[in-house]
Amino acid sequence: MAFLKQAGLLLAKDLRLELRRREILLTMFFFGTLLLFVFHFSFDLAPEKVLEMAPALLWLAFLFTGTLGLAQLFQSERDNHCLDALLVSPLDRGAFFVAKVSFNLILMLIVEVFVMPLFWILFNLRSWNLMPLLFLITLLGTAGFCVLGTLLSAMTLRARARELLLPLILFPLMIPVILATIRGMEAVIRSGGLAEGAPWLRLLVGFDVMFLTAGILMFDWVIDN
Amino acid sequence: MAAWGFVFLAYAVVWGAIVLYLLSLKRRLSRAEAELARLRSTEEVAIDAKK
Amino acid sequence: MGNETRRKNPRILGVVALIFIIIGLYWGLMHAPPDAYQGDVQRIMYLHIPSILTAYLSFFLVFIGSCLYLWKRERRDDILAYSAAEIGVLFTALTIIEGSIWGKPTWGVWWTWDARLTLTAVLLLIFAGYLMLRSLTEDESRAASSAAVLGIIGFLDIPLIHMSVYWWRTLHQPPSILRPDKAPWENIHPAMLTAVAINFVAFMLLYFYLLSLRLRLGETKDQIKLSRLSRG
Repeated sequence: MAFLKQAGLLLAKDLRLELRRREILLTMFFFGTLLLFVFHFSFDLAPEKVLEMAPALLWLAFLFTGTLGLAQLFQSERDNHCLDALLVSPLDRGAFFVAKVSFNLILMLIVEVFVMPLFWILFNLRSWNLMPLLFLITLLGTAGFCVLGTLLSAMTLRARARELLLPLILFPLMIPVILATIRGMEAVIRSGGLAEGAPWLRLLVGFDVMFLTAGILMFDWVIDN
Repeated sequence: MAAWGFVFLAYAVVWGAIVLYLLSLKRRLSRAEAELARLRSTEEVAIDAKK
Repeated sequence: MGNETRRKNPRILGVVALIFIIIGLYWGLMHAPPDAYQGDVQRIMYLHIPSILTAYLSFFLVFIGSCLYLWKRERRDDILAYSAAEIGVLFTALTIIEGSIWGKPTWGVWWTWDARLTLTAVLLLIFAGYLMLRSLTEDESRAASSAAVLGIIGFLDIPLIHMSVYWWRTLHQPPSILRPDKAPWENIHPAMLTAVAINFVAFMLLYFYLLSLRLRLGETKDQIKLSRLSRG
């Protein structure tokens, strides 16, 4: 119980801070939109072709915006030695991890909720009815991204050139998530239902659960001395 | 006959790379050991001086 | 100090490894007959199979070293993980190069997105990232903990990557005529099997020789650090 309470408090702190500054959210959203424009200029495609490529393009956008957000994830703790203060307090490291993951997840989901319909509008797609299912898969994939991304972001906190290092170690490890979300979404677009993409969904859930557990257990070693 | 070209290419690349790695490893090792020896000897001098 | 005896052991290991390498070269290049289907190109397999097995062993040692380090906090376990990762990356890169040189005359392309090739390439990327994390983190003890967690995560991720790339290939591509994921020798000549075995032993000996040198480098660097610290 204390675990959830601590996590909730830390999450509320981060959300309140972000609500006041709106730095990360705005940059992420702006960058995501920008990428859609870049994609539109780069691929001159007919609408029916775009629907096929939508999962890949959307996920490219989400990966890049997500990486942008991750680089800032521990910024508020880095400033003014807040991290040391947090670590001195009798705080469950697992709760700290869960709070950071949820914060990151909330930010990314907000961006995705806006960017996905925007993609449909900008590329003149009509199949709006698929969106809830596509978003469900995106939710699972984003959770995986946030879990692993938060852990690795903490790992690179003390490294030189950490913004450059983070995607280099994160992306190879993210390959199951990238493959599963994009193939899963393609299956939904092809068949209109979840059944065909079910193995991919199970893989995503497995990934999320496995690395959330690993993160809660190992965050202590990553963040502490 | 072209097959042997590929075979020799593969063997040359692999053994070349392994030998290069071995040489660099030995160089790094001998440098580190020389530095350690230097540090140890100056350490002893410092201890002797204190006595 | 036991330093003197330890300095001699790897040298003997190195000499034995060299003998096996020479026998392996002779056996693989001269003694073993060319493959019935692939011809002489198949001789690359006498390098390819031992190097990928060596790389797998290496990454397994990274995992073991990482776990032991987080558990017991002994410097030598961390040095083991770091050393094994470095040599593992070398052997993975070599595996990919050999496979590529073998693939060109056999499949007609240098690279194909076959599940096994993809998995090997991802392994290379993961552990190259591991080495980068280590070299870019200055604080030694923190680098060790973070790297240990990365070593464990990377290892845990392998089955998931394996699953996803295999599904990706099987769900999307019918198996090609010459299936790359099938062992290239169905009717294997005993001399070929011996060639693989000899080369495997040679690579193992070479691997442990390199590892022992790399471990000593790690230990020496630690001692340099200690010596500097004691001088203040």
